[in-house]
Amino acid sequence: MSAVGDTNAARSAPAIRRPVPFRAQIGGLSRIAILLLLVLTAQLVTPSFLAPANLQVILMAVAAIGVMAIGMTLVVIAGEIDLSIAGVAILACVLGGILIPTGSPVLVIGVTLLTGLVLGLINGILVAGLRIPSLIATLGMLGIARALANIASGGQALYPESIGPYVWLGRGTLLGLPVPVLILLALTILAIALTRFSIFGQALYATGGNVKAARLSGINVAAVRIAVFMLCGFCAALAGMLDSARLSYINPSGFEGIELSVLAVTVLGGAALSGGKGTIIGTLVAALIIGVVNNLLNQLGVSIYLQQVAIAAVILAVVLPDALKRESGK
Amino acid sequence: MPAVSRRQLLKSAAGLACAAALPGLASTPASAAPVHDLLNALIKKYSDAAKAAMANTDIKALFEKDGFRDYLDVYPVGDLAGGFVWKPGMGASFTGPYSKLQIKAPFTDYLPMNEGPVLDKAKTYRIGFVFHGFNHPWLISLADTAAWEAARHPNVQLEVIDAEFDDNKMGQVIDTWIAKQFDGIVLWPSREAPMGPPVDRAIAAGIPVVSLDRRTSSEVISSEVLGNFYANGLQQGLYLQHAAAGSGAMICNRKDLGSTADSIRTGSYLEVIGNSPDYKMLANYHTNSQRTLAFKSTADALQAFKDIAIIFNTGGEEAMGALDAVREAGRLNSAPGGKKIIILANDDAREVLKEIRTGNMDMVAPYTPLIGDIGIRAVIMHIGHKAGLLPEAPPKLILTPNLPMITREKMTIEGIETLTPDEWPYAYGPEVAS
Repeated sequence: MSAVGDTNAARSAPAIRRPVPFRAQIGGLSRIAILLLLVLTAQLVTPSFLAPANLQVILMAVAAIGVMAIGMTLVVIAGEIDLSIAGVAILACVLGGILIPTGSPVLVIGVTLLTGLVLGLINGILVAGLRIPSLIATLGMLGIARALANIASGGQALYPESIGPYVWLGRGTLLGLPVPVLILLALTILAIALTRFSIFGQALYATGGNVKAARLSGINVAAVRIAVFMLCGFCAALAGMLDSARLSYINPSGFEGIELSVLAVTVLGGAALSGGKGTIIGTLVAALIIGVVNNLLNQLGVSIYLQQVAIAAVILAVVLPDALKRESGK
Repeated sequence: MPAVSRRQLLKSAAGLACAAALPGLASTPASAAPVHDLLNALIKKYSDAAKAAMANTDIKALFEKDGFRDYLDVYPVGDLAGGFVWKPGMGASFTGPYSKLQIKAPFTDYLPMNEGPVLDKAKTYRIGFVFHGFNHPWLISLADTAAWEAARHPNVQLEVIDAEFDDNKMGQVIDTWIAKQFDGIVLWPSREAPMGPPVDRAIAAGIPVVSLDRRTSSEVISSEVLGNFYANGLQQGLYLQHAAAGSGAMICNRKDLGSTADSIRTGSYLEVIGNSPDYKMLANYHTNSQRTLAFKSTADALQAFKDIAIIFNTGGEEAMGALDAVREAGRLNSAPGGKKIIILANDDAREVLKEIRTGNMDMVAPYTPLIGDIGIRAVIMHIGHKAGLLPEAPPKLILTPNLPMITREKMTIEGIETLTPDEWPYAYGPEVAS
C-alpha cells in the first residue's frame, strides 16, 4: 500500500516538501522549559528525585502511555482521533493471553500485536473507506473490543507468568535499562524518522493539514489514514502488552479511561485536534511532564483527587500560551 | 408495622453486637466461641478504645479528616440469622455456571433450603437477579452462587441481567420485572441512592427484594445480605499489632473515598492501631481498586520513603499492585533492620492466596463474593411468607459470618485462630500457576 499515489505530484507540492522544522519537532521550547522547571522543583522538594532509581520509576510509569500516545499522535496529525485504544489494548492482550496454555511466546506475543494491527485496520477502513467520522467509528470499536475481551476471557483475568519472553517485555532489562523504556525509546526514534524524514511523514502532515490539497497533490489520503490507524492499533496492543507483562496480569476490564489520558498527553505535546500539527518529541515531553508531576505528587503523598486537579492545571498552563498565541494571530 | 429508619435498625444491630461481646478476650489464647462472635467482641473492644482516645497523632488526624466515625457507627455488626454458627469447612462445592471455575461456597448452610421444588410445587417462581459486572471475577462469582442456588429448585426460574454499572439500566430492569409481575428480585447495587426508588416501587407492587453486599437507600427493602467489612479491617490491625509490635512507618492504598469498603475496612484498621503511638503514616493513596494505580503509587512512595515497613491495602487489587511495585524495586526486605515489608490485604482471590503461601504477602482478610445463594434463598422465603406458605420471613438484616484471617503459618492472635491458604477452599477467581 502506497501512501503517496503519485510520488512526483506529491514532491511537487510545496506544502509537503518542506521538512518539519526542529523547533516544531520538539513541540515548542516552552514544553521542555516546563519539564525542566518541574524537574528542578521536584528535586528541591524531594532530594532523591533525580536519583537514578526514581528516574527509572518515572520512565517506567510513562512507557506504556507514551507508546500509546505515539500512536495517537500519528492519528491526530492525520486529522483523526482514536478513542478505541483501551479496547484495542485489552482485546489484543486477551486474545494473545488465551494462547498462554500453548506455552508459545511467538503465538502469544504475535497474536497480541497482530490483533492490534487488525483492529487498527478495521478502524481505518471504517473511517477512510466507509467515511464514518473517526470519533464515532473508534467509539464503536471501543465498545465492541471491550465487550469481546470480556466474552473471550469470561471476565476472568489471565496470567502470563509462564511465558518468559512476554514477562521480560515488562520486567526485563537490557544493557541495564528496563525493556519498556527501551521500547519507548526505539519507537520514538522510529516514529520521528517516519514523521520527519519519510515521504509518508510528509503525506501525513499534508493529509491532516489540508486534505483537499493533499488529494490534489496526489497523496492517497485513504491509505495514509488506514496506515495511521493500523500503527495506532499496533501501539495500543504493544502498550497493553507492556503493562500486562509488567504486572503479569491481563485484566479484561483494564485501561479504563486511558484514551482520554493519552489524548491529553497528545494535545499537551502540541498536537492539534484539527490535524496537520503535532510532533513525536512533543508527545514524549508531554508524557514526561505528566510522569514527573505524578511522581512528585505521589512522593508528597498528595491524594489522587488533588492530583487530577493538578494535572489538569498543568495541561491548561502548558496549552494556554499556544491558544492565546493563536487567538492573537487571528 | 411502624416505619423504622435504617439508621435505627443499624444501631439496634450494633447494640446486639455489644450484648454479644465476650469480655476478657485479650488474654484468651484460642477461644472456643464461634469466630463470628469473637470478632464482634474484638470490634467492640477496639471501637470503644478508639472512641475513648487515640494516642497516635498521625492516625488520629487521618481518622478525623476522613470522618471514619460517621461510617463505623452505623455499619451493622451483630448476630447471624437463625442462630447460625459458621465453621471452616462448611459449604457446598460446584462448578460456577458462569465462570466455569471450581467453587466452594462457604454459606450454603446459612438459611438452609433443601434441594427440590420450593413453596407451592405446582407453581413456577420467577426471580430476577440484577447486578453489575460479568467482567469482574468477584462479581461473576456472586452471580455463580445465585445461579447455582436457583438451579437446585426446579420450579424457580432465574433471569440474570448485567446492568453494566449503569444505575439507570438497573432501575429499568427492575421496572420491567415489576411490569412482568416477577415473584422476587435480588440485586447487587453499585450505589445506594439511585437504587432506592426502583426497590421501593417493587416493594409497593408486592414483590420482595433482597440486596446483596451493598445497600440501597430503600428503607422498606425486604432483606439486606451484608458482609463483614468491619472484621476485615479489624483483623488487618490485629495482625499488624502482632507482627510489628506497635511500631513502623506505613503507606496505605485505599479504595474510593467514601466507599463502604474503604470507610469501614480502613476505619476499623485505624481503630485497632490508633492507640499505638509509634506507627507513622507516611502516605495515604486512593488507588480506587485499580492495580495499576496502586502499583504506581507504591513505586513512587518507595522512592520517597526508605523506611516503609508496612503497606496497608483496602482490597486485593491494591495489594497485588503494591506487591508488584515492591518486587520491581527489589524492596521486599527493605524495612528497617533488613526486615520484610509487611503487606496486609483484603479479598481472598486465588492469586492473593498464592502470595500468602509464598510469604510475599503477610495476611489477607477474606471477603467472599460467594453469597449470591443466600440472596436467592432469602427472597424465596420472603415469597413464601407473603403467600402464607411459611410462618416467618427472614430478618431484614442478614449478616454474613465474620471470617478469620488467612496467614502463611497458623497462629492465634487475640483468640482468633488464623487459617492457612491450604485450609481455605473458598477462594475465588482463576487459578494461578504456583
